[in-house]
Amino acid sequence: MTAGKPFSSAVKSPVSRRTLLKGAAGAAAIAAVGRSFPMPAIAQETTWTLANSLRSVANPYHATFAKGGEDFAKTIGAKYETLVTEGNSEKGISDIKALLQRTGGKLIVNVDPNDSPDARVIVEEVKKAGGFVVTQWNKPDDLHPWDFDPNYVAHMSFDGVPTAEAIANALFKAFGGEGGIVALGGILSNVPAIERKLGLDNAIAKTNGKVKLLDFQPADWNEQKAFEITQAWITRFGDEVKGVFAANDGMGMGALEALRQNGLAGKVPVVGIDGIDAAVKAIEAGEFAGTVAWDPLWTGGMGLAIPYAHVTGKIDITKEPKEHREFYGTGIIVTKDTVADYKNNPPKTDFNDLWGKATGQIQYRS
Amino acid sequence: MKVVAAMNGGALAQWRKWAPLAVLFALCILISLFNGNFLTIGNFIRLLNLAAIPLVLCMGATFIILMGSIDLSVEGIVALTAVMVSLLVANDISPYAIGLFSVPLAIIAGGAMGLLNGLLHVKLKTPSFMTTLGVGFAGVGIATAILGGETVRISDQTFRFLSLGRFLGIPMAVWIAAAAVAVAYIIQERTRLGRWLYAIGTDEITARHAGIPIERTRILIFAVAGLFYGLGGVLLVAQFGQGHALISQGRLFTTVTAVVVGGTALSGGVGSVLNSVIGVMIVVVLANGLVLMGVEPYVQQGVQGLLIIAAVALALDRSRLEVVK
Repeated sequence: MTAGKPFSSAVKSPVSRRTLLKGAAGAAAIAAVGRSFPMPAIAQETTWTLANSLRSVANPYHATFAKGGEDFAKTIGAKYETLVTEGNSEKGISDIKALLQRTGGKLIVNVDPNDSPDARVIVEEVKKAGGFVVTQWNKPDDLHPWDFDPNYVAHMSFDGVPTAEAIANALFKAFGGEGGIVALGGILSNVPAIERKLGLDNAIAKTNGKVKLLDFQPADWNEQKAFEITQAWITRFGDEVKGVFAANDGMGMGALEALRQNGLAGKVPVVGIDGIDAAVKAIEAGEFAGTVAWDPLWTGGMGLAIPYAHVTGKIDITKEPKEHREFYGTGIIVTKDTVADYKNNPPKTDFNDLWGKATGQIQYRS
Repeated sequence: MKVVAAMNGGALAQWRKWAPLAVLFALCILISLFNGNFLTIGNFIRLLNLAAIPLVLCMGATFIILMGSIDLSVEGIVALTAVMVSLLVANDISPYAIGLFSVPLAIIAGGAMGLLNGLLHVKLKTPSFMTTLGVGFAGVGIATAILGGETVRISDQTFRFLSLGRFLGIPMAVWIAAAAVAVAYIIQERTRLGRWLYAIGTDEITARHAGIPIERTRILIFAVAGLFYGLGGVLLVAQFGQGHALISQGRLFTTVTAVVVGGTALSGGVGSVLNSVIGVMIVVVLANGLVLMGVEPYVQQGVQGLLIIAAVALALDRSRLEVVK
């Protein structure tokens, strides 16, 4: 403990009583933090404030993500806050800075950065203040948790390529594996949009020409846009369209309603990704062929549970392997065959099983 | 109308009046050259269906713009009324199931938000731009707070009939939109309110000297616009079978674009709700046509932007423009 030095030097050299007392007080304070003095366990644990930072509680994914954080905070009796960026990077960063200030750096924050570059600023701020941070989905490729030991605890994401490939295959199976499909993509510069398109392309390539991509249009994750584009596709391709691939459930719902307006709901299968409630219900109704559930309750809680395990001394994050610092979570493929099982046994989150649902280290494709 | 034409110098003014319609026809011909499916009855009905909700929203927005103001609260009012109506019909979150009685309630709620717009704008003398932006944000905010990120799923099939049902082969939403256009046209042509809003949009000071109750007219017009947005919210929920706080995303931009492309001037006083009907059709046909023609997705936005500028440039009456803002 380097902070003990002023105290020992103060004893050796002749100094005033005041300096001696100051040094003693400083050493005592540091020792208290280092838990050399007995303190009640509860008081120690609740000194950390927990927070999740996300885009907006108006979308189902982030609302559940926030709830995951709240659930975890409840299990340990800690203070919890949800910070909302509203799609504004500036606001996201300044809210975290303000909270670091208020908590004196005793903050554990689980962030879904509004944009990749934000992650670096947030990590640097948290490290400077002595807090701990986990990032989700977006970060620059060359920003790694192990370069900011121990404060940058981990980065969590989901691999869009295999999940999109799996859900595309579920779509092909739903219409018999032969024919044309149309696909709705997300905002093209988004990492998940790029990965999901790649996964779809892989799945199509593996059918050896049996499945043909009639058209691909980005609908920018927007339900309304997807509705309009799908209407135009029905005119352009008519009954050539055997299935609709949507890179998220929201766009899938838009496509489904366009099909319904033309009496095609349930006849032309749709797949989406995200596992929102409406999509799960559409699978039960036989209108969706499948979706991928991300389990945001898990990401929202685990992004706080892992750093908390580190600050309470349960693990030493700096000694964990890289696949525990940058890892993918598990997407659950929900189809007609598995939907009943999924609903009866919703994914459970065990906050003590820190990496139980991690599926390998994050890969960089570009 | 004859007097106006004479003032602007005959043929040119006549052409300008018809320019948006000409643009619409030219677009239709162009698209059908690329894809024969465009000119089918099936696609025509699909286009009308896509136009229904923008039309209803544009009826409200046209009045505001004719008055020389702007209304940026479209998305907020639509979101709030949509969430409200989705919670009032049979659904999977709230216990209410008042069916079609929810429709007038939602329309009145929209009108109340519009009234708030008008009152704040007139009584506090704040620019309509900022007032409506604020009310719009509040609307989305309240809708978000009510649902907390949830999506309401509608199970009331009678309510969904408002969008999915068909009469003479045409979706109910289209009939409702047509009725909204008729009501808007009657307000514009046959009521004092309609005539006054032109007077205010053309020259507010002269209108004041002429004894027109400027403040009352402004407040009423904002309230009327709110009623149309409320109806838009109802149709949106009926169309998607669900309600959530983000349901109106992107509506403001298409609404204002359609009004302006139709030939209604942002400076006020020039245009008509019928112009907006053409404007909506141009925007809808364009979006549909670019997909039909197989234009590359990322070229589409550029083409859309260029064509919108072209349409506005053709329809603009420059003789009355003293300054361009």
